[in-house]
Amino acid sequence: MLTLNIIRYDICGQICPSTLLTALQVINEYSQQLSDGEVKIAFKTDNRDAISTIPESAANMGYPVTVTKGDGYYLIEISGAEE
Amino acid sequence: MNSEEDKKAPPARDSAESGQKVYPGPRSEQDNIDLLSRENAELKRKYSTATQYIRDKVNQLLTVMGTSTLKPEELDDKTLIATDPVGIVSNSFVQILKHLHKTNAKLKITNQEIKAIFDSAGAGILVIDKEMRTLAYNAKLREQFFSDKLDVTGQPCYRLICNLSSPQSSCPFMAVFDSGEGVRLMGWVLKNRYYDIVCTPIKDENGEVTRVVLLYMDITQRIQMEQALRQSEEKYRDLFENANDLIQSIGPDGAFQYVNRAWRETLGYGEDEIRDLTVFDILHPDCSECGPDFKSVVFGETSGRIETVFITKGGRRINVEGNISTAFSEGKLIGTRGIFRDITERKEAEEILSSERERLAVTLRCIGDGVITTNIEGKVVLMNKVSEALTGWSQEQAKGRPITEVLHLICETSRAVKDNPVEILLKSGKAADILDHTLLVARDGKERLISDSVSPIVDRKSSIVGTVLVFRDITEKRNIEEKLLKAEKIESLGVLAGGIAHDFNNLLNAIMGNIDLAAMDLDPGDRIHDSLLRAGKAVLRAKDLTQQLLTFSKGGAPIKKETSISELIRDSADFAIRGSNAKCGFDLPADLWKVEIDLGQMSQVINNIVLNSVHAMPEGGQIYIRAENIVIGYDGPDLKQGKYVKVIIKDTGSGIPQKHLPRIFEPYFTTKHAGSGLGLATTYSIIKRHDGHIEVASDIGKGTIFSIFLPAFSGITALNTPPVEKPSKKGRGRVLLMDDDDMVRTTTSEMLKRIGYEVVGSTEGNETLEKYKTARNSGEPFDAVILDLTIPGGMGGKETILELLEFDPGVRAIVSSGYSSDSIMASYLQYGFSGVLTKPYQTKDLSSVLQKVIISR
Repeated sequence: MLTLNIIRYDICGQICPSTLLTALQVINEYSQQLSDGEVKIAFKTDNRDAISTIPESAANMGYPVTVTKGDGYYLIEISGAEE
Repeated sequence: MNSEEDKKAPPARDSAESGQKVYPGPRSEQDNIDLLSRENAELKRKYSTATQYIRDKVNQLLTVMGTSTLKPEELDDKTLIATDPVGIVSNSFVQILKHLHKTNAKLKITNQEIKAIFDSAGAGILVIDKEMRTLAYNAKLREQFFSDKLDVTGQPCYRLICNLSSPQSSCPFMAVFDSGEGVRLMGWVLKNRYYDIVCTPIKDENGEVTRVVLLYMDITQRIQMEQALRQSEEKYRDLFENANDLIQSIGPDGAFQYVNRAWRETLGYGEDEIRDLTVFDILHPDCSECGPDFKSVVFGETSGRIETVFITKGGRRINVEGNISTAFSEGKLIGTRGIFRDITERKEAEEILSSERERLAVTLRCIGDGVITTNIEGKVVLMNKVSEALTGWSQEQAKGRPITEVLHLICETSRAVKDNPVEILLKSGKAADILDHTLLVARDGKERLISDSVSPIVDRKSSIVGTVLVFRDITEKRNIEEKLLKAEKIESLGVLAGGIAHDFNNLLNAIMGNIDLAAMDLDPGDRIHDSLLRAGKAVLRAKDLTQQLLTFSKGGAPIKKETSISELIRDSADFAIRGSNAKCGFDLPADLWKVEIDLGQMSQVINNIVLNSVHAMPEGGQIYIRAENIVIGYDGPDLKQGKYVKVIIKDTGSGIPQKHLPRIFEPYFTTKHAGSGLGLATTYSIIKRHDGHIEVASDIGKGTIFSIFLPAFSGITALNTPPVEKPSKKGRGRVLLMDDDDMVRTTTSEMLKRIGYEVVGSTEGNETLEKYKTARNSGEPFDAVILDLTIPGGMGGKETILELLEFDPGVRAIVSSGYSSDSIMASYLQYGFSGVLTKPYQTKDLSSVLQKVIISR
């Protein structure tokens, strides 16, 4: 069984570059691992727009996304592509 | 911007008019600064335009991606250049495209799956648009509605399916486009078939129904099955309600779930009463095993056939038999169902039948005859005990066998096998006659004479279904008949003997009388006188013989007289051995006690036993007769205590086999070829009548010993002792002599005259009476009357004396007879006589009795 590596990014308070772009960049970087299901990427953000833009984009790329609200932040988790 | 290139001479510019390159002249520093400022501003502007361009493209791309555009603060110029947002988004697009590819591929597969489902669905599927035009359909739908058409895409469904030229406003599927809600129609009839139709709307992203999917499920078969089931249910309900049997269903608690009409009517409960009843309300309390049996069924322990007793509402008892089945659901008992039939009548009939059978069986057992029943093939069905005993076959062994095997019949005389009466009946159809001389040979070979009769057993249609044979062992019966015949012969003989004896006595009387008369006329020394004397003795001997003959013919109660048995023994024994080679020795003590016996009968006894001894010694032998006094000290089975005279007769003959000893005193039992079998039986009877006892000891080759016990005379003098013999004396008087025999009358008259009496004769009673009366009335009465006891065909002495006594109570009558043992002769005084004369009598006897009678007057 493959151990799932969780890549955590804390992008709270980040305005520029956009959290979306940051997220896209990271996703691109780990796209193969994500496809193979080896990694999971978790973004911690306080940006309200990010909880719609990042999930939308990740979903279009075929990655399942979950958004969890924490205390003063949001946790956006992106899993590997579904078969 | 490339700064190196910026340092070079300003480039030639194209003339706007000529289009040729124009090179500008030398500039001042200020001009350079202005130029540079202007160039800087231009560069800034270009830079700004470029960055804006990149930003715009990025946003465009983001929009294409389906996400929000970036705010300016989210991407400053520096970052824009540094981060390569276009590259990032482009790379994201790669992933998006990959994802799209994957999705497309999946969609393709899904499409194929859907198509396969669509095509292979067991129901017809039709997809129509708002205008009711056919967009898609599957093979099943084609098969259902338009198998004759090739392609109907685009055609309106109302034409294809409903065969209508225009849509109906009431079409429920059209309404779905408006309502957006799916509908389901059950049991829709199209082209003579039934369908369940499900109409499902397909909405676009705006929620508008652009098409509907219609699913046509052909339920015709189900409908038909339902109809058939309903009909079947009706049929069964009809059967259930109209059945004559009682049908019930009981829950696990024993309460009734349902019952049929017959049940209610039989048990007397109304429909509304059933719910309050349990099975224990209908079980008869007397049926002790019903409860446990029923309980075990109710609780599912047993099922199957059961016989029980119900009780109606009114308390009537009903015998039922039926079948019970148990129903389970998920391992739990949910109820039992029972069907019962009222067998009360049948039970009663069975009981009656059983009683009848028992009665028949008992009757058969008790019937004294053999009974065998056969079937139509002549095979044994039933036998009773008697037939088992006679044939030697048991019922079990004989059952099913042919009757000829069990009942083996042969002819008594020819020994040939006889036709079986059962077979004769079965062949001819008529009851066979009773066969005579038929012997039944039992299994052990024993033969019995039987008589039988056979009758057919017929059914209601009078067809023969079997036979009944009844037979009995008539061997005994025939033996008895033969013995009866013998007895009758003997009785006839007896009567004959009596008759002969009577006549013989009279003849002897005449002979004796004449001998007497002749002797009287002769001198005693005369030779003729001796001859006459011998003749007289012979006549006396003959008299004894006739006595015996009369004893034999009369039988009857012994007329006992006190006597010494010694002389009787000697006389009887000597008489018996006369003419044979046997010798007889006697040991008879002088002090032998007297016995009270009938002389004639006891002579017969001694005679019989000695004769038997003689016959047992055909070559001759020795007979010993001994007598002794004996006292029996206690009451035994054969003799009471007291004094007895024991007479022992022993011979050296062939002896009697031990096995015969118990039977030798039986009447008609004889081992002699010509024997009557009566001798010892008579002996036994006579001894018993004398309150005595006789026993025998013997064995083959060892001779025989008979022992006779006779009670000794107790001392009481017998009545009417016979008169003592006195010599003839002359007398005087008138004598009336009554005898039917002429010779007797003549001889006796002569004798009477010889001794001085006047005689008048008469032949029978009436004549005697007349003569007596006349004589008396005329003054010349008779002094004595001699009356013969037996006057064949006329009034004898017994009746005559009565008449005479009535006329003259003082009449002196003498009774005369050849049979001295007759009760009248023995007790003559009681009968009114004054004297007795035993024939044949001599003159001295006449003289003696007359003297006594006349003088005693």
